[in-house]
Amino acid sequence: MPLIHFQPLIKSGVFSLGLLGLALLSLPSIAQTSASNLNNRSLAATCANCHGTNAVIVPNSGMPNIGQLTKDEMLTKLMAYKSGAQQGTIMPQLAKGYTDEQLTTIASVLGKK
Amino acid sequence: MNRRHFIGQSLASAGFLAGCASSAPINISKAQVVVIGGGYGGATAAKYIRMFSNNTAQVTLIEPNADFISCPMSNLVIGGSRTMAEITSPYDNLSKRHGVKLIKDMVESIDQKQKTVKLASGSTIKYDKLVVSPGIHLMMDQIKGLAEANQAGVTIQAWKAGPETIALHRQLAAMRDGGVYAISIPEAPFRCPPGPYERACQVASYFKKNKPKSKVLIFDANADIVSKAGLFRKAWATLYPGMIEYHPKYNVVGVDAKTKTIKFEVQDDVKADVLNILPLMRAGDIAVKSGIANANGRWVQVNYLNFEATAAKDIHVLGDSIQVAPLMPKSGHMANSHAKVAAAAIVAELGNLEVNSAPVLTNTCYSFVDATQVVHVASVHQYNAAEKTFKTVPGSGGLSPEPTTLEGIYAWGWAKNIWADSLA
Repeated sequence: MPLIHFQPLIKSGVFSLGLLGLALLSLPSIAQTSASNLNNRSLAATCANCHGTNAVIVPNSGMPNIGQLTKDEMLTKLMAYKSGAQQGTIMPQLAKGYTDEQLTTIASVLGKK
Repeated sequence: MNRRHFIGQSLASAGFLAGCASSAPINISKAQVVVIGGGYGGATAAKYIRMFSNNTAQVTLIEPNADFISCPMSNLVIGGSRTMAEITSPYDNLSKRHGVKLIKDMVESIDQKQKTVKLASGSTIKYDKLVVSPGIHLMMDQIKGLAEANQAGVTIQAWKAGPETIALHRQLAAMRDGGVYAISIPEAPFRCPPGPYERACQVASYFKKNKPKSKVLIFDANADIVSKAGLFRKAWATLYPGMIEYHPKYNVVGVDAKTKTIKFEVQDDVKADVLNILPLMRAGDIAVKSGIANANGRWVQVNYLNFEATAAKDIHVLGDSIQVAPLMPKSGHMANSHAKVAAAAIVAELGNLEVNSAPVLTNTCYSFVDATQVVHVASVHQYNAAEKTFKTVPGSGGLSPEPTTLEGIYAWGWAKNIWADSLA
């Protein structure tokens, strides 16, 4: 198979501005990713096992479609599961495992934009 | 340095500050990530490394099987209420939708120094990051006569879903009414803690309908049912009265394929018509062969923040192969959860971003007590920085109060969505 070997940006300790410019130009959209963005997406991905990647549900799979909820609707629901106000099978048990801040993050990542 | 800066700025500053090649971050679009094993752990890692790197890191998945066959739900095929087609998914969406390069092959060895893996077909692939998710290996040599009995087709384990799954169903179908099915369970930890007890339910469900004079014998090396004990006990008593016998502290030491006899460490021999003997388990071969299985030579110890093997830099191990944290089951759902934490950490490390210091894992496990009624166990595992491990959150998680068909619907919903989350 063809191999593209690892190429460090800085090859010999000499780092020219020209090379930096080229390197930055060639950097794809990962440049938009920050650590917090990655952490938030990773946290929200804990919902995907049951509710679909990025809250896109498998059609007619029998699971509640959380992708249609706005951020606020989702957070209200999650907090209700956590407090016990909302009954359910698994969700009351899972919601209690997250901090309020984590549930807020999940709702902002997955809530309908 | 503000780690929240765009990665481009991070790259630049890291370069200027460090000024030497050794600490230079990898240009993530040139980074080669190789994933060994396309199960719940490996397939999910391949997809999510692509997703989390915004489709920049180059990911190669090496998997010998043509299709993904799910272990969860496979007990229903053994019990005859579902088909192999219903638990089988293709791999090609990983390449079509996510740009993962698929190689149908086995990895023979890992060269940690050169950072390469050698395939059975002979070629060599270079990696910057390696994900190892080989599942379990059944330690057949721990039970005298077991390997021979398996080769003779007498005892089938069916603990890796595939040809043995349907073969075990065929053995049950060929058995006379009034026959005996015996399953033996090794000492924990093993893949899928509720799996053997669910299988007993599925076999009993099949017998109840088709061969009502038959028996299910469970011989457990453990002191009690390892998972969902109360729920299984109740299901056996109410759904299958007089059909299932549970025997704790029965440790199998030998099998005689000719006479279909099971030999125990302490108790008298038992004969059965269908023998489903599960031996002790350990991490998949490639993990043990490459010397990273440093927990009793059986499991791989990892740093739970990034799932990097403690014995090898840039090798991240997922799923059933790892030495688990307290109350962390060896399950498909857990492997999928490991994969997402590892994927985010790998992308962060390749991009010189700070690795998440507070990852979260969940587990959900549904067990069918007959063809439609289901019970679950669920848990949430938060990283504990002081103890450097995952811990379940007090007051969270738990069990179903009783089996329901509603949870049967959710169980299939879970299956269809986790298959898509891992593979599509």
